[in-house]
Amino acid sequence: MTALLTALEASSFSTWVRESPSIWAYPTILTLHTVGLGVLVGASWMVDLRLLGFAPAIPTTVLARAFPTMWAGFWLNAFTGVLLFVGDPMKATTSVFLWKLGLVAVGVILMVVLKRRLAGGDIERAGAGGGLKSIAIASLVLWVAAIATGRWMAYT
Amino acid sequence: MTHSLVIWLKSTPISQAMTMSPLIWPICEMLHFVGLALLIGGAGLIDLRLMGVFKSVPLSAVMQVRKWAALGIVINVVTGSLFFIGAPDQYIDNPAWYGKLAFLFVAMLNVAVFETTQGKRMLTIAAGENTPPSFKVAGAVSMASWFLVLYFGRMLPFIGNAF
Repeated sequence: MTALLTALEASSFSTWVRESPSIWAYPTILTLHTVGLGVLVGASWMVDLRLLGFAPAIPTTVLARAFPTMWAGFWLNAFTGVLLFVGDPMKATTSVFLWKLGLVAVGVILMVVLKRRLAGGDIERAGAGGGLKSIAIASLVLWVAAIATGRWMAYT
Repeated sequence: MTHSLVIWLKSTPISQAMTMSPLIWPICEMLHFVGLALLIGGAGLIDLRLMGVFKSVPLSAVMQVRKWAALGIVINVVTGSLFFIGAPDQYIDNPAWYGKLAFLFVAMLNVAVFETTQGKRMLTIAAGENTPPSFKVAGAVSMASWFLVLYFGRMLPFIGNAF
């Protein structure tokens, strides 16, 4: 495993991501990763908050339309995340990186579950049921934790 | 003058706490990114409706998420000010920091002008109703300036020398 990571780290593409003085290398990849974070988490939180009863004038029937935006943020970050990983493969040996990946994975699973429930039309305009509220709270908290672990990687 | 401000700020207890503690700066960074996501989620939704997306939702209903965008701005102004107080020397000569402040000013001015001149008309945009061109411009200016605030913020260590 470590040998594989070392080989990846020695590759010219990894070196380019990590060491190129070009603004289009690491700085742009990192900026796009932040944009994706804002779009994915921002849109998710608006759906979660609505399901928890905030902004009650927004019909819950339109919430499903937020999901393509969330997926756009997710795929942007999956792509830029792979590039950031290639630039610094030794991340994979740190527990904070594995925690972050796990938290993101659970966050995305909750997103899929929410989308299915919303598309199934099992909630009324009046509000969300108990199960949906629990998912919304879990989603809110998971994204905070994913952001926290992602930021923490800069200090380890 | 700039120089003496930097020296004075660095002598304050807040500044020393920001740089001496191994935890306060990272925690403020986490909060700054939480604020960023709240702001993009809240302001982004309002901006999209202003630009004519999600027409099935009345504009007044979408405006109910404004408080979340405002919370994001408050969190980020507080944590951002703490970064500045903590290490003023890495921002004061940093072109990216001035870019960030400039677009923050544009975004806030855009909101102020729009709410003052269109605040009442805004609440009359019903479900299914398109927005007038001036609303679309305000939404586009808002979205573009917030993403530029993010861009210049993220570029602080690369265009300038911030960590």
